[in-house]
Amino acid sequence: MITVNGIRNASWCVIAFGIVACASAPMPVDKLAVAKSSVERAEQAQAAQFAQVELNSARNKLAAAQAAADDRDGAVAARLADQADVDAQLAEATARAKQQEQLVAEMDKSLQDLRNESLRRQ
Amino acid sequence: MKQRLIAVAVASALFGLAGCQTVPDDSAVLSEARAAVAKAEQNPNVSKYSASELDRAQNLLSNAESAAEEKGATDETTAHYAYLATQTARIAEQRANQQLATARIKAGETERQQILLTARESEADRALADARTAQAEAERARNEALNAQSQMAQSQAESQRLAAQLEELQASQTSRGIVLTLDDVLFDTGKAELKSGSQRALDQIASFLNENPERKVQIEGFTDSQGSDEFNQQLSQNRADAVATAIIRRGIAADRVRALGYGEEFPVASNTSPGSRQLNRRVEIIVSNDDSAIPGRTAQGGQ
Repeated sequence: MITVNGIRNASWCVIAFGIVACASAPMPVDKLAVAKSSVERAEQAQAAQFAQVELNSARNKLAAAQAAADDRDGAVAARLADQADVDAQLAEATARAKQQEQLVAEMDKSLQDLRNESLRRQ
Repeated sequence: MKQRLIAVAVASALFGLAGCQTVPDDSAVLSEARAAVAKAEQNPNVSKYSASELDRAQNLLSNAESAAEEKGATDETTAHYAYLATQTARIAEQRANQQLATARIKAGETERQQILLTARESEADRALADARTAQAEAERARNEALNAQSQMAQSQAESQRLAAQLEELQASQTSRGIVLTLDDVLFDTGKAELKSGSQRALDQIASFLNENPERKVQIEGFTDSQGSDEFNQQLSQNRADAVATAIIRRGIAADRVRALGYGEEFPVASNTSPGSRQLNRRVEIIVSNDDSAIPGRTAQGGQ
């Protein structure tokens, strides 16, 4: 049995639920912080030099995530923050790998010199 | 505010979102994720060095696959998880690359140490070998010196012995060789047979020749001026032959012995008195200084 009163109550309910639903998409403060620190770590790992594309992507997404958060769009902010985080991690890993590979190349060369020298002296 | 708008626009472009609207066909993102994860799975260094990142990428990919089943391949949640899976798979590969490079550097350092150690060892080996060579060289030089010393002592003893022998034979050293004179008391007058008094001198000459096998001997016979030249020549030859035969009988090879008769030639005294004539009646035995032939006598003199 549906009463006018019941309909009114249900309406309130729906409105209240909508408000709660809207309010329950919280701003992804933690994700933003994680992404920001990942970008900083990538920068410290000289990603600007060794993984520029990945670092730029991470920076842009972090800025977009921040903007979405400012627009109270928590879901978009969270996704963008997650993506900025993996982009930054990839930038850092790529930069470290490339630097280490440079070291390997230098070491190979100096080892070759050393081998040649020790052969010459025998 | 303007900055923020730009950021949102960039994010839209990157993310493929237009505000809250559903994304356009985005299954390409899912296939890219599958490919990226598969590539990481096939890289043996990933399972060795960055298994936990690979694990995360695989979980993200299965999230994406579930979202695709539930909401469709083009759903934004699907695309989101697919993107995270792709990037995480790449992170796994890059971490593996970094670890691999680190391992190679470590191995390279070990090899560098090994090369240096080998170089030091072989340097030490060389130094040791050098020292041994030097030691052997010193030993050899010392032995040589000792040998030279003993050879010198030997040759000194040899020459002393020779001198003693010569003295005993009353021989004299000349440029033609060692000259020993046997006087005529060893022969009867006019005869060529050696008397027994000559045995000792001949024994000594033979033993000297035995000990010095390179030396040769020449026997020269002389007479005084009395009697005919022919007789004297024959007598001197016979007497020289007799001495030569006596030496050969003592074991000296005949080709080392030569006998010559000079008759009245080459007198050593005047022939005017019996005493001087006796001096001229003689047999001279010349032993060569080495293996060369004994020069013959020419005209007067020659000794």
